[in-house]
Amino acid sequence: MSRRVLILAERSESGITDASYELIEAASRLAGGPDGVSAVLPVGDASEAEGLREVLPAGELLLVEGPAHASPTADGTAAAVLHAREASGAECVLLPHDPVGWDVAPLVAARLGTAAATAVSALSWREDGIAAKRSAFLGKFVQEVEAPGLPAVATVERGAFPAREPGPALSVRILPSPVGPGDLRSRLVEVRDAGAGGVDLTAADVVVAAGRGLGGPENLDIVRELANALGGVVGASRAVTDAGWLPHELQIGSSGATVSPKLYVACAISGAIQHLVGMRGSRFVVAINKDPDAPIFGAADVGIVGDALEVIPALTEAVRNSG
Amino acid sequence: MNAVALVKQVPDRNSAFRPAGDWIDESSLGYGINDYDRYAVEAALGLKEAGHAAETVAVTAGPADAGQVLRSCLAMGADRGVHLITDRAHLADPFFVARALANAVSGLDAGVVFAGLLAEDSGHGQVGGLVAGLLGYSFASAATGLHFRDGRLEAHRELEGGRIAVVELRLPAVVAVQTGINTPRYASLRGIMASRRKPVERIELAAPADGGGLRRLTLGRPERGASAEILPGSPQEAAAALVSRMRAGAGISFPGDAA
Ligand SMILES: Cc1cc2nc3c(=O)[nH]c(=O)nc-3n(C[C@H](O)[C@H](O)[C@H](O)COP(=O)(O)OP(=O)(O)OC[C@H]3O[C@@H](n4cnc5c(N)ncnc54)[C@H](O)[C@@H]3O)c2cc1C
Repeated sequence: MSRRVLILAERSESGITDASYELIEAASRLAGGPDGVSAVLPVGDASEAEGLREVLPAGELLLVEGPAHASPTADGTAAAVLHAREASGAECVLLPHDPVGWDVAPLVAARLGTAAATAVSALSWREDGIAAKRSAFLGKFVQEVEAPGLPAVATVERGAFPAREPGPALSVRILPSPVGPGDLRSRLVEVRDAGAGGVDLTAADVVVAAGRGLGGPENLDIVRELANALGGVVGASRAVTDAGWLPHELQIGSSGATVSPKLYVACAISGAIQHLVGMRGSRFVVAINKDPDAPIFGAADVGIVGDALEVIPALTEAVRNSG
Repeated sequence: MNAVALVKQVPDRNSAFRPAGDWIDESSLGYGINDYDRYAVEAALGLKEAGHAAETVAVTAGPADAGQVLRSCLAMGADRGVHLITDRAHLADPFFVARALANAVSGLDAGVVFAGLLAEDSGHGQVGGLVAGLLGYSFASAATGLHFRDGRLEAHRELEGGRIAVVELRLPAVVAVQTGINTPRYASLRGIMASRRKPVERIELAAPADGGGLRRLTLGRPERGASAEILPGSPQEAAAALVSRMRAGAGISFPGDAA
């Protein structure tokens, strides 16, 4: 039996985003095949979507058209998704677990009288609803939740599903938008670069990254000394830069720098997914953490379970004495 | 018009968490305010100090001892608190929580409602947005900046790839804040003293009806493909073993190495 699942397709300068192709894959597994997938794309004018039909491998492409969608907003996109949900009869709505999904998913869910299953990596139907695997405790645990009642809403973690190959949509429908610009409560003023910092972490062969578990800025000297002994530079988790222990330019992760040094030493960093995406390309990863369950050990080659305040100076010493 | 902060009591992040049943073993945990929510409280206080809000109100849903986090908000400077009392287990459903919060917020003459982007324990990352959806307020998530102009709120949203979206929101609005949007103040001794005299309204919530938004099924440790080799021994022993592994694995020499 095939069932209908709706995804929100997103555009970038280079076409349909990778996240959208991952959503199509997730939806197609849930729907029992790509024909059961509907993709909604809010557009100011349907002519913007010319050519996109050829690369959106869904059962149907729904273009929700109107001036309210000339630039995206949380409430405008939510209205388009809800409209397409009704038009398609989809029993589940999948959105990306990214800044678009965080804006749109709760507004859609609230209107459907439910909550969204968020940060989801696997999905299945229940008798009346869906079950989803998701991450909890900042990636430390995997949780299974049930969202009783249909239609259900979920946001899908990046990388949890492979991206589906581009291909043509079986059909295209243009739906006049239910909202006009005057109905919207939010307006996109502009999108701009946040402005990168001056320190180039990306060129370093060795990065020693400081985490919140170090306890305070007074303990950063041992990290600097280790970086010196290794001939590397100091980086940081967001918890450390947000707390002002180190400048923001040193932040590594999804909202900071992406590094791929030969050696990455994570000191008292838990290993939240947003941190991991910034250092996954490193050749050799060392983790020092007192918690054997810390997710960072899943991303490391070698680890030491222990108090970083003891292990780091011991490591600096060992490096200096090994030459 | 008032500035409201939605706050959650979460287990202390330095606790040793153990999965138990469909959640964690809660028998010996310390609790405190969700880190993201400290930024929400600071944003609310900032709005009042800039003259855009008459009062700041902190609202939480949680068990009796969650009053603790309201006290810490009052000590930071919030004017009053609203405590929606419910079993800790009922916090499993973000829809139940959001509906209760929305009910409370609707009576607070809120101009801007601040929430944390997500809670460190459940990490659903949607309660602020659900409240906005239920009340028909404007909404922006992942805010890293705020500006107030001519009765309009401008929020800077953190996108991926180092980009920022600037959005203008009609009021009332809900803003889910990202860490780093401001520098949360610490409670002063005077603030702590003053907080004792500040009012907290307590409202008992009815138990959630059947259905609802989400139910917990299981919680467990993630399967890790290839996990790190853990080096045994004292810090010195482990460190000594690590040096040769690092040199070989990374394929580099260190400054002190003999040429
Ligand atoms: C949209 C979004 C974007 C984000 N972007 C980023 C980003 O770009 N980069 C980033 O890093 N984060 C980012 N985050 C935050 C991320 O989710 C984590 O909160 C953050 O990475 C945690 O930093 P941490 O590991 O230093 O701190 P914690 O998570 O607090 O971890 C501290 C660790 O130290 C350990 N520890 C404590 N004491 C000791 C000790 N004495 N010795 C040894 N170990 C000890 C603990 O066991 C724990 O594992 C983002 C979050 C969101 C929602």
